[in-house]
Amino acid sequence: MALPLRYSFRNVLIRWRSTFATVLGIALVVFVFVLLQSLAAGIEKSSGNTGDSRNIMIVRKGSTAESASLISRENLREIQYFEEIARNERNEPVISADVLVLANLPRVNNNGEANVLLRGISARGAELRPQVKLIAGRWFTPGKREIVVSSRMAKRFANFGLGQSFKAGTASLTVVGWLDGGGSAFDSECWMDADECRSLFERDLYSSFLVRPVDEAAGAKLLERIEADRRFKLKAEKEEAYYQKQTMTAAPIKWLGGFLAIMMSVGAVFAAMNTMYASIGARTREIGTLRVLGFRRRSVVAALLIEGALLALIGGVVGCAIASLWNGYTTATMGFETFSEIVFEFTVTPRLMGEGLIFAVIVGLMGSFLPSVRASRLPVIDALKSV
Amino acid sequence: MSPSNIVTIRELSKEYRQGEIDVVALNNISLDIAQGEFLTLMGPSGSGKSTLLHIIAGIDRPTKGICRVQDIDVTKLNESGLADWRNQNVGFVFQTFNLIPVLTAFENVELPLLLTRLSAKRRREQVKTALELVGLADRSKHLPRQLSGGQEQRVAIARALVTDPKLIVADEPTGNLDSSSAQEALSILQLLSKQIGKTVIMVTHDPKAAAFGSRSIHLEKGELTN
Amino acid sequence: MTIAGFIARNALRNKRRFLLSVSSVAVSLFLLVTLQVALRELTNPINDEGSTLRIIVRNKVSLAQPLPARQLPTIERIPGVAAITPFSYYGGLYKGDEKFTSFAQFAVDPVRALDLLSDAKVPPEQLKAWIADRTSAIVGKMTADRYKLKIGDRMPFTGQIYPCDLEFKIAGIYEGTADDRNVMFHQKYLDESLGNPGTVGTWWVKASSVEEAPLITERINKAFANTSAEVRAETERAFQLGFVSMWANIKILIGGISMVVVFALLLVTVSTMSMAIRERFRELAVLKALGFRRRELFAFILAESFGLATLGAFFGAGGAWLLYRSLDMPKLTSGMFVVFEVTPQMLALAFTIAAVLGLLSAIAPMIGVARTSVVQGLKTLD
Repeated sequence: MALPLRYSFRNVLIRWRSTFATVLGIALVVFVFVLLQSLAAGIEKSSGNTGDSRNIMIVRKGSTAESASLISRENLREIQYFEEIARNERNEPVISADVLVLANLPRVNNNGEANVLLRGISARGAELRPQVKLIAGRWFTPGKREIVVSSRMAKRFANFGLGQSFKAGTASLTVVGWLDGGGSAFDSECWMDADECRSLFERDLYSSFLVRPVDEAAGAKLLERIEADRRFKLKAEKEEAYYQKQTMTAAPIKWLGGFLAIMMSVGAVFAAMNTMYASIGARTREIGTLRVLGFRRRSVVAALLIEGALLALIGGVVGCAIASLWNGYTTATMGFETFSEIVFEFTVTPRLMGEGLIFAVIVGLMGSFLPSVRASRLPVIDALKSV
Repeated sequence: MSPSNIVTIRELSKEYRQGEIDVVALNNISLDIAQGEFLTLMGPSGSGKSTLLHIIAGIDRPTKGICRVQDIDVTKLNESGLADWRNQNVGFVFQTFNLIPVLTAFENVELPLLLTRLSAKRRREQVKTALELVGLADRSKHLPRQLSGGQEQRVAIARALVTDPKLIVADEPTGNLDSSSAQEALSILQLLSKQIGKTVIMVTHDPKAAAFGSRSIHLEKGELTN
Repeated sequence: MTIAGFIARNALRNKRRFLLSVSSVAVSLFLLVTLQVALRELTNPINDEGSTLRIIVRNKVSLAQPLPARQLPTIERIPGVAAITPFSYYGGLYKGDEKFTSFAQFAVDPVRALDLLSDAKVPPEQLKAWIADRTSAIVGKMTADRYKLKIGDRMPFTGQIYPCDLEFKIAGIYEGTADDRNVMFHQKYLDESLGNPGTVGTWWVKASSVEEAPLITERINKAFANTSAEVRAETERAFQLGFVSMWANIKILIGGISMVVVFALLLVTVSTMSMAIRERFRELAVLKALGFRRRELFAFILAESFGLATLGAFFGAGGAWLLYRSLDMPKLTSGMFVVFEVTPQMLALAFTIAAVLGLLSAIAPMIGVARTSVVQGLKTLD
């Protein structure tokens, strides 16, 4: 016969004073785990969120990142007249030849410097990326040294306010608008005119092309055609697919989160064992009585295991709750692909919380396993004799 | 107040609150205890006999009144003064023995001596004497759990007398013992008062145990009845 | 028996609990030290002797922006400049690496580079061979060992930043720098492969003396002010700190996690200590009755919690120190961490935290003991 769940549950409640520290300890383990994984999830979400399903991105063969790619103007001249590429109402090909420049800029409050990704876009650049919205000011006018910065970067870098100017090398750029990338990788970029960008920073070559094919079939054909043409030495792939791969920065954070969680949980298992041993020690008589009443060993073990799991589960819920306070909070680090500052949000997903809770329960079970086996092995008579 | 009185108690009262109710544990008690007496305090539960014992032994404080042991009014001492005084003047014997489980019989007896300035050699001698007195010299290496209840209580008595205190107080020392072990323990206490001249004060509710004493007083509802 | 013996006997009375508590403190402090080591490695880059004299000149826009090769004679003429070499980060993927190559490749001027890397030791005949063959390279000993490379082997790379793939013949193996991982090859070879664009990545300049280094950086910066390629010259140290600043919030994050670890640690120790003392309330009352003073009981409790925490620190921090000394970290982390050294300061930090922990966790039990009178204490059940 199994002991009722109420037995385990009430024991957790009655001993709340002595279990408090253990519960909080487990809560902290889960908190650290969920928080770090939510950082990695934030980076992945921002990459996965980027791009338009219709677009195709073209970079130099061998470049893993757009910022390290170089494409010549000759290539542009040729590719833009491909019949696979859609045309707008004025019969212009929907293609943007972009150039990416890293600018080392000061942060606000003299908080050091960091690289900012400046993207020079062609006339079609903005309409190819409908997820990017202008939320303040206006778009730049080519030739006037104007730039539109991400509103999230505006909070982090000096002189990014509307109407302010900053210097990148010798070039002085005036901020005329703020863009919002809707949680995509574009939230970490500043946009200006591509040809102006090339001349200001003495770049002969473009970095990448973004094109809109006529339709799905034309897109597939374009991918094939660029891949097959040996003269180009270019690589074409779906824009979304390209960005989904830009998650190198998330890997070490995930690794760190896993490592910390495992190390901390070892400590938490020890703490849980201590608590359960003490709790069982104080209840020797009670457990003896249960056995005399006819409960089997495995019922006692099960009840105590459930007690440990419950205890840890409470800790897990608390940990998830604390971690979820960070959900949506914007933070930044250096992205490994671009070597520039990337902004993203802590993203606490239900899946992460579920993992955190499972993790907590495992800690609880491991912590209560040995103590419960010990309790069930106590000879009934001894248990009753102990005061 | 004869000079041979070791304990002098005058108009001693003790009240305390238990929840909402004021409880009178001791009501205006006056009592003299002579040097070398084996006094037994008797009475039903809640009569105040243990409280009286605790006050004499300096582990509890009265609400008012005087409790003088030799020339010192123990009610006037501060915490640490009282601790020192207890160490030098009082030996305790408890109902539940209260030996330290991780220490051997020898080490348990030695414990109060750690507070004195005695050399290790002197300490050893004193512990040996005390253990011999209670007839347990051969058990000095045993841990409490390896001893019987009667033996444990005898170790506790040895611990109580190892500092050569003026007073030995015992709170129901036979409460957890079978009758033959109780007899042994009581005989030792009797011996201490008769042959070495120690003053022994014992709380008990067992008339057979009280018969070992030289004088017996009864308490009821916080007052002396005889 | 002595007082110390009594304390030790008490602490070890519940051996299992003692062991579990010491282990959880040890694990937490081990983790704390590990985090500190990692943080130091990320924020406090490797320095060697030559680094105090080295000045790095990069494009003011950013490190990714190239510099014109024609700047060389101008810098050479600046007073105090003892040596100069181009230093271009090639950033290629080594054969077989998918996304990330754990060592860097730099294009340099082989004749002058060794002046700048004064710590690097290369046998003279290997150096000669390197200078003579413009497609050859010298390889750091760590990388050579890792890939089992020897002189004469070929190393193919796929260009990531530069649109050219290169293959080097190994002419020599160097060692003696703080980070013997890099590959150095001829700037000329890179230029030719790119069709002589007339640019370099950065300039590395050696100052004639440490005192003059700040002056020289200023002179270099001034020399190119208001030209089309303004430069930022800074000492190697300042250059590295600039990198550290780019880690942004990650630094704060690791610091924050360390705090959480310490806090969790505190919780565990505090609860263990109060568990240990609560079990012994009656005994402490007995000791009080025997004449032990309150402060002596405090001393017992303190000594016990202090001992527990310090022992935890001994195993945790000491274990970390031993482990990271004996492990081959560069190999294990595929080159991400190189030094991974536990400094005396970190050990001191761990022990200080342990000491504070010991103190703090003794407080609650001490208050409990102080509050309980002998009579109450005797009444409590075990």
